Amino acid sequence: MGQQIVNGLFLGSIYALFALGYTLVFGVLDILNLAHQAVFMVCAYAALVLVVHLHMPMVAAFPVAVLLGGLLGMLVDRIAFRPLRGRSDSNIAGLISSIALATILEAGVVQFFGPDVERFPFGTVPTRSLKIGDAVVSELQIIIIAIALLMLAGLTWLLRRTQLGRRIRAVAENPRAARVLGVDVDRIISASFFVSSALGAAAGVLFGLAFNNVAPDMGRSVELKGLAVIVLGGMGSMPGAALAGLALGLLEVFTVAWIGSSYRDAVAFGVLFLVLVLRPRGLLGSAALREA
Amino acid sequence: MKIPVRWLTAAAAALLAIPSLSSAAETVKIGAAFSLTGNAAAYGAQQKAGVQQAIEDVNKSGKLKGVTLELILEDDATSKEQGIAVFQRFINRDKVSAIIGPTLSTTATAADPLAQQGKTPVVAVSNTAAKGITDIGDYVWRVSLTEAQVIPSALKAAQGKLGFKNAAILYGNDDVFTKGGFDVMKASLEAAGIPIVDIQTFATKDRDFNAQLTALKAKNPDFLMVSALVEQAAAIVSQARQLGWNVPIMGGNGFNSPKLMANAGPAAEGVMVGTAWNKASTDPVNLAFIAAQKARGNDPDQFCAQAYTGVLVIADAIAQAGMKGGRDDIKAGFAKVKDLPTPLGKFSFLPSRDGNHAAAVQIVKGGKFEILQ
Amino acid sequence: MSLEALQDLWLTYQSTVAFVGLNGLLALSVYTTLSCGQLSLAQAAFMAIGAYASAILTFHTRAPFALNLAVATLLPALVAVPLGLPVLRLKGVFLAIATIGFGEVVRIFFVNLDFTNGALGLTAVPQRTAIWMIYAALAAALFVLWRTRGSRAGYALEAIREDEPAARTMGIHVARYKLAMLALGAAFAGLAGALEAHYTFMIAPGTYSFSRVVDMLVYAVVGGTGIFYGPVVGATFLTLLPEVLREVSSRVGLQPGPLRLFVNGLVLLLVILFLPEGISSLPGRLRARRRARREAHAA
Repeated sequence: MGQQIVNGLFLGSIYALFALGYTLVFGVLDILNLAHQAVFMVCAYAALVLVVHLHMPMVAAFPVAVLLGGLLGMLVDRIAFRPLRGRSDSNIAGLISSIALATILEAGVVQFFGPDVERFPFGTVPTRSLKIGDAVVSELQIIIIAIALLMLAGLTWLLRRTQLGRRIRAVAENPRAARVLGVDVDRIISASFFVSSALGAAAGVLFGLAFNNVAPDMGRSVELKGLAVIVLGGMGSMPGAALAGLALGLLEVFTVAWIGSSYRDAVAFGVLFLVLVLRPRGLLGSAALREA
Repeated sequence: MKIPVRWLTAAAAALLAIPSLSSAAETVKIGAAFSLTGNAAAYGAQQKAGVQQAIEDVNKSGKLKGVTLELILEDDATSKEQGIAVFQRFINRDKVSAIIGPTLSTTATAADPLAQQGKTPVVAVSNTAAKGITDIGDYVWRVSLTEAQVIPSALKAAQGKLGFKNAAILYGNDDVFTKGGFDVMKASLEAAGIPIVDIQTFATKDRDFNAQLTALKAKNPDFLMVSALVEQAAAIVSQARQLGWNVPIMGGNGFNSPKLMANAGPAAEGVMVGTAWNKASTDPVNLAFIAAQKARGNDPDQFCAQAYTGVLVIADAIAQAGMKGGRDDIKAGFAKVKDLPTPLGKFSFLPSRDGNHAAAVQIVKGGKFEILQ
Repeated sequence: MSLEALQDLWLTYQSTVAFVGLNGLLALSVYTTLSCGQLSLAQAAFMAIGAYASAILTFHTRAPFALNLAVATLLPALVAVPLGLPVLRLKGVFLAIATIGFGEVVRIFFVNLDFTNGALGLTAVPQRTAIWMIYAALAAALFVLWRTRGSRAGYALEAIREDEPAARTMGIHVARYKLAMLALGAAFAGLAGALEAHYTFMIAPGTYSFSRVVDMLVYAVVGGTGIFYGPVVGATFLTLLPEVLREVSSRVGLQPGPLRLFVNGLVLLLVILFLPEGISSLPGRLRARRRARREAHAA
């Protein structure tokens, strides 16, 4: 039982990290960035390349990959979202252009790396385990959970305590008013994408390390779960995303253990559907359901 | 008597013509559909090496007088849709005389019916699902031993060595082969009177098996049987060991690839699997096959040996049919193949069109497969 | 060209022709809800329902194919109603997400349904679909949409698409129209699913995934959702493109798979950024530009 909780928290912290970025952009732009999962995937490959071909230790490769993710996110904004700002159909159009960009990125990865699974070489990460009660936790799992918590804390600090964070929240609240108050909205949005994609990149590298499995389709499997997480947590709510991510991880693991692995995904989508129908604002979302 | 020059020239021409008449080589096209990309690519690469070598060897040996084999190789991308498309091209556009493959049983259940409909013989060289392959029809023949032929004896050997009291099974429920393997594992355990304490499933796309492994571990089985393809097999074995679980593991045919050790590393030590190919056999055909593969820079595995044998069987069928390479000639020739020397041993077909030869068990030791004596 | 060469050409390309038709029908199924401003992404699920229902009828009854197809068309439409009632109240992106969720739940339902072989799906489905059937179905769908266009329903749908609250105040029964379009789209998708299953010899739950419905959306958007035949244009273009690319890719030294993905993504991006009304709007635009140039000259 304890082991399953560990399994669930481990999976959940990766979901949470992925969802944080997702929900940040949604909170600021009212847009679902479906290229997020592509950045997730590309940066996992980036870390792989850094470790395998440039012989960087993972300790150095990780922040580099995260930085790359942030920059890639800004590029995504520039190409797929900014040109559409001001258009009346910008939400659906943005959805579609982000899908387009995600497809392009995936195509690039398949062309250069091939469609098959890649693995990190042995010794990239520590492989020792500890016993806590009746549960076995590997060093890697502890590191991943710790990094996820650190990033959540960092994000909270950024949003609450820095000027950038205040501006981001202002734009999220009311972009027009923020502009009137002198905020460079485009720049703030760009910064939000940087932060969001950096989080996504971190999630990607950790996911790749966690299961030693980097493949072009790794983003797709997490993308839909990510949707369930942000809906459950409340679109636009960071603590909601974190909580919901952990909850979903636990829910999935216990579903596999008690019901059967085939229902693993059904739980996530069942929850998604129920939340949207019964309580669209999710656990911690704001009461006003914004017109999308 | 002076022989007119005309006659001499005519005679010379006639004499020269005779060899060209008899060396009017008939080209028999063989289509090979393997998973060169996708989840089964590990097997496909070995199969490609096997058939290429075999075609070369058969053509060079001159065993098929007047017949040259031509190989057309295509990728089924480990996908049913691609498998169907490739088979359609082989049957209708390239008009091959026989097809080898596809790699996975799942693809075969979708694509083989086309060959049956198109009256083109198919030789399955790696489909080991007990049901649903040769059942498709009389144009489907099989070289690879089914799980039903390999697992029971492998289980017996393991039981003899380890003497376990109960067992658990983990299998993939969305692949014809892994599900078929599960059915056989369950039946074999029951037949041997070994209680099954738990059964868990996973999907081929899964990466995280911790939940299932933890649930299985909690029931404390002495032995774990896993029916999975090699990518998932490697992950399952690694994650099990990482959870601190040292239960002896026996895999189905999906484990029969060196990719298992490459990807799972030290976690793969001690894993057992029944195999259709006794690598340690000192049979000269086997030794020659291994040497030729090594010369090409390939360390052959069971899939390579089976693919190689597939071509040998087709060649023998052509010979048995009187050096005729038409589709029905080959089909008729299959029925006459008996005790053919192959790297797998002396090969014959059963009346059910499945393959028949002796099987073995192997265990991972020092990062390599060793035959369990 | 000799008869044999033509026959060979047909054998090689007949599946492309079939899929141009099928994809056109699928694109229309996404278009129906887009035409009243709703983005529904559940069509892959409706396709699955149609496909499985018709295959079950094929395997277990002696029903004529026409009956199978009728069931495949009606059943998803019926399922769409209880889905639509709670879900169509949601706005924009939330509706899209809810329909994605529904789609996944249906897919997983079929993965776990032992009666239909679960995740393995059904194989050796007899090929009962002929290419003319596919195009007949497509023509029928286009006809239905064409007739809706100039009618009162058509204007109502456009009003809803432009400004939903305003349409409601004008007395248009918004909820009913949205539900009708969802059901119609479900019917198209179900029919396409049944036709496809009886053409490709098989059904597997994996075929009806989120990626599939994204493909359908791409066909519709690239073709253009401003006019009823736009999605078909998009489907034709994007289905033929890989065939053309396959020839090009081998010459350029790229893999056909990723090249097709790349071009799909690029076309979609270019369309959404620069030609938001889709390819089908191109002739109109060119005509307008030519007219403007003529007027400028005349002035």
